Amino acid sequence: MNTHKIDYKNIYYPPGGILMWIIIFLELLTFGMALVVFVYYGKEQPELFHQSRLQLNSTLGAINTVFLLTSGFFMANAVHEFKENNLKKSSLYFKLTMLGGLLFLILKSVEYYHKIEAGITPETNVFYTFYWLLTAFHLIHVIMGLVILIWTNYGMMKKKSDTGVEDIEACAAFWHMCDLIWLLLFPVLYLIF
Amino acid sequence: MKKTLFITYGLLIVLTASTALISNSMSVSRLTIILIIGLSAVKFLLISFKFMELKKANAFWKVSLISVLGLIVLGIIL
Repeated sequence: MNTHKIDYKNIYYPPGGILMWIIIFLELLTFGMALVVFVYYGKEQPELFHQSRLQLNSTLGAINTVFLLTSGFFMANAVHEFKENNLKKSSLYFKLTMLGGLLFLILKSVEYYHKIEAGITPETNVFYTFYWLLTAFHLIHVIMGLVILIWTNYGMMKKKSDTGVEDIEACAAFWHMCDLIWLLLFPVLYLIF
Repeated sequence: MKKTLFITYGLLIVLTASTALISNSMSVSRLTIILIIGLSAVKFLLISFKFMELKKANAFWKVSLISVLGLIVLGIIL
């Protein structure tokens, strides 16, 4: 296991790595701009957005927020335990993180199923075009995050593992990015109209 | 399990419950929107500074993230 000391105060070495942070900024700007445009359309058609928003299940959205926050908490603990050289504990926290992500996926699928059953598709109106696009893109990130988590957890538990702190932190940074995006999506889509 | 992580998690859950309470008990108004988005912004910062350990990073990354969040929040509430 590679555990050399990283100088995080160096501008080129933020926790998770500079490349991961560039990705995080690009993702946040992309989702952020889409949300600002969504709010702009919402101001143009307030009644349509209000009626559409009422058809969303904010309880499911809030439960999903808790799933992602809990999952992020376990992820932070996984990084902490890895740095303390407690590989088994770290691996356990990795699995708990994945469980949180999996529960998010299941609940989101239930929500999507209800929407499709009610005939609500991206073509329904402009609100739902944004709803489907934004939540589906976020969901793809969560699925990608789960794949990265599985791969990293497998790599770190190998007998001759070359997984280092940087790898674990990069994996964690990607996972937390999914939390950050959801924290912006949830209130705008489910609550403010 | 690190104590600061546990406290951060507790705060995040309390803020999520507060958001749910506000959105259920108050009708949609400008004040409600500012409160809801404000609470989400606090949660965003807690995750990035505590869970992602941005507090250890160079000031450039902290300022950049706060600026991006500020722009998005302003774009939403203005």
